[in-house]
Formats: sequence, structure tokens, C-alpha cells
Amino acid sequence: MRPLEPTTSKQRVAYGLAFFVLFVALWSWATFGGHVSKTFLANPLAMVQEGYELLAKQGFLFDIGMTIWRVIGGFVLAAIIAVPLGVLMGAYKPIEAFLEPFVSFARYLPASAFIPLLILWAGIGELQKLLVIFIGAVFQIILMIAVTVGATRRDLVEAAYTLGARDRGIIRRVLLPSAAPEIAEILRLVLGWAWTYVIVAELIGSSSGIGHMITDSQALLNTGQIIFGIIVIGLIGLISDFLFKAFNAWLFPWKLA
Amino acid sequence: MTLLRIDQVSRTFPARAGNAPTRALEPTTLDVGDNDFVTILGPSGCGKSTLLRIIAGLDRPTSGRVTLDGREVTGPGADRGMVFQSYTLFPWLTVRENIAFGLRERGAPEKKRHDIADAFIRRVGLSGFENHWPKQLSGGMQQRTAIARALANDPKILLLDEPFGALDNQTRALMQEMLLGIWERDQKTVLFVTHDIEEAIFLGSRVIVMSARPGRIKAEIAVDLPHPRSYKIKTTPEFVALKERLVEEIRTEALKVAEQA
Repeated sequence: MRPLEPTTSKQRVAYGLAFFVLFVALWSWATFGGHVSKTFLANPLAMVQEGYELLAKQGFLFDIGMTIWRVIGGFVLAAIIAVPLGVLMGAYKPIEAFLEPFVSFARYLPASAFIPLLILWAGIGELQKLLVIFIGAVFQIILMIAVTVGATRRDLVEAAYTLGARDRGIIRRVLLPSAAPEIAEILRLVLGWAWTYVIVAELIGSSSGIGHMITDSQALLNTGQIIFGIIVIGLIGLISDFLFKAFNAWLFPWKLA
Repeated sequence: MTLLRIDQVSRTFPARAGNAPTRALEPTTLDVGDNDFVTILGPSGCGKSTLLRIIAGLDRPTSGRVTLDGREVTGPGADRGMVFQSYTLFPWLTVRENIAFGLRERGAPEKKRHDIADAFIRRVGLSGFENHWPKQLSGGMQQRTAIARALANDPKILLLDEPFGALDNQTRALMQEMLLGIWERDQKTVLFVTHDIEEAIFLGSRVIVMSARPGRIKAEIAVDLPHPRSYKIKTTPEFVALKERLVEEIRTEALKVAEQA
């Protein structure tokens, strides 16, 4: 090993897998070896078995589907509002001056703390779940996109002006395409955060979803199911991240060339 | 015929953080005729880029005015094409799309954009690279694309701000010949800013020498070398004599800057 020396792709895969193997080995040692009580931590085999039970007999796939729909629903709502606002803030300084202080403040309001209020306003239905994710995501996206668009290379904007571009052209054909890969990265990042909000939203006042299953399992002291639920969230996150990355690479070939 | 008139143009940058205001450009007057190739030569900090940016409309003069074809310049426009020292191709557009950018902004139909862009791609010797991304091009190729992009817009005047400044010597010499070849054939009006003496003489019909701090025009020297010029001209006695004269002019200015620094 030397600083910054690259590895081959085969090595990367091997190292990455090695950690998971090590992790499961440690877990097995702790549980099968009797170092940790069954009440607190299920062993890997029990976890897999509980997972099978969940999927085959308790309709867990429906819960997974509900959770995915809530994440995507809330996230898409947030993106529809936040992306145009962020772009406008980045492009026009007076709009930024008008909105930036409030958005910066709102960004720090914890989405989970809104849950009691949202239950009061929107009940315990789907709307409330979507709103939790919306609140958690919308301000973050606005602010990050505003910064990205505002940081567009000035010389590119100037070049476009000398080529006869007007303000509209600058926004649509310089600021937007220039910021687009970053915007996609921001959305990928915030989607990851949305996953944590959805579980919190489902822990309280919910009758479906992965978070709901986890609360139910807690009441039954079924740690195997809880762990399985957490791992499913992790896997879905990994898959969505991978899809997002692949989509971005396909969308912006000029970034990679 | 006078195309571009720079009339008592000055630029003072306002005071910042306790520093006194900076006088970047003293009131400067210069006329550029139709199809003239004028090079502006000066050390860094002499306001030559500021002057060019004011002509392009990217900066506003503190006093004075610039007129192009009798109309005052109030902002950037397609009638003044510009090539920057930094690489300013749009990284998300291919070479062809970059060159067609100005035409697209003006709403030219796709077929026309395509044909004009391809003609300029051939002119700057980039055939085969139409669909490359800027990232895949060398510095010289990027600047050739940038020149083609400015020319494809058919501006009344081409403004070049040290476009070859970041290139190596060999590439730079080839680029100079290419640009001169285009000018000799198409008769464009060109204003070319540089700090390279040889470049200023080789390209220009006249060289405007600027002094530093405050920036102002110090001398104007006509270059009566015949066209078409080839690189061989750089070793002729006439060329060398001009170069010696300009070296002296610039050296005193550079010394002044060094002493002030």
C-alpha cells in the first residue's frame, strides 16, 4: 500500500466483500458463541429465517412497497418545488437575498420534530408521511442547488453573452446544463437522507411500512426481524444509489469523457 | 473607414476593504478601421484586458464611450465575438454544438447551424472531431474551436484576449499562422491582446503598446510587413528591427511595474 496508489477493479470488489464477510463473522462469533444474549441480538441464521417468515407469510413485500412509494412520493414532491426555486435563487441574487435566510433557518428544523404537528394537521394517513419527507428534503435541495447554480463558471456565462445569448438563454443553455450533473448528485444525496426520514415517520402512527414492522417487532422482542428490516433498508438504499449513479453517468457523458 | 471608436475610455475599480480605488485604465482613445488587425501589447496589469472587456460590453467604462459602427456599446452582443485566454468551451456541448452556439441563440434552423459549424470545423482543421467533447481536446484544439465558435457568429469585430497565452510555443506558432491565414482570406476586423512581442508583430498591421499603472497607450507602431506572412518572416531583418524596438518599449514598462511591486 502506498498513498493514492490505485487498486485494480478485481481487488476493489474483493476488499469490499471482505468487509462484509468479516462483519458477519464477528456477528456470528458474538451470537453463536453465546457472548451476547439472544434477547438483545439474533444470530445471522435466525435473522435470515425471520426474514423468510416476513416475506413469505407476513406480507412484508407490501410494507417494503409502501415505504418505497412514500420515499419516492415525498422526494419527488420536494424536488418539483425545490429544483426550480434553487435554480432561480442561484441565478438571481435578489431572489436569493429574499429566500436564503429563511431557507437556511428552515433547513435546520428537524423533520422528525414536525411529526406530532403533521399528525395534528394531516392525520396519520399517507399525506402526513409524504409531508415529513417533503419537509426533510425540500430546504436542503433548494439551498444546495442555489449554491451550485450560483457557482457556475463566470467565464462560460461571459462567453455565452458575447455569443449573443440573452438572460433566458443564459439560464436555459448555460446555468442549467452546467449545474445539471451537480443537481443530479444533490438529488442522489438527499434521496439517501429521505430514507432515514421515512423510517422515523413510520415508527410513529403508522400501520404499514418497514418502520412500522420494526416497531411491531420491538414489542415482540424479535431482534431478527428488526435486523432484517434494517438490512432491507440498507440494500434498497444501495440499489437506488447505484441506479441513480448509472443514470447520471448515462445522462452526462461529457462529464466522464 | 472607422469601425470601432474608443473615445476617452477609462476604468477605475472602486475602493475595497480600505484600499484606494484602482485606476486600471487612463482615458484612452483608439480607432480601429474596417478589416484592420490591431494588436495591443503590454505587460500584465496594463489594463489591456480591461479595455477589451469594455469593448466586449462585459465591463462598463468609468468615463468615455465605445462605439461600433456609430452605435454605442452598452452591453455584450453577437456583433463582437470574443475569445478568452481561459478555455471557455461549454463542456456539455460537442465541438460542433459549441461552434453552433451563437447561431442557435439567434434561432437559426438546425440544418443551417450544422452546415456553418462544419464549414468552420474544416477551416480550423478539426475535421473528425465534430462530435468530441471539449475535455477530449488538447489546449490548442480547444482554442481553435473557440475561435471557430466566435467566427461562426459572423461578428463585426473579433476580440482576442491572449487566446494562445496558455499554449506551448510550438502550438502557439501554429495557431498564429492559422489565425493570420483566416484573416488574410476573410478580411475580418481583429483586436488582439497579448504580452508576447513576436506575436504582436507577426499578427498585427499595427501594434499598440500600453504602459502599466496607470494603463494607457504609450506608442503605436505600424507593421509594414507584406501579406501573406509565413513563419519565415520572423527571422527577417525588418521583423528583428521591429522586435528590438518593442523590446525596449516593453522593458521600461516591465521595469516600472517591478519597481512598484
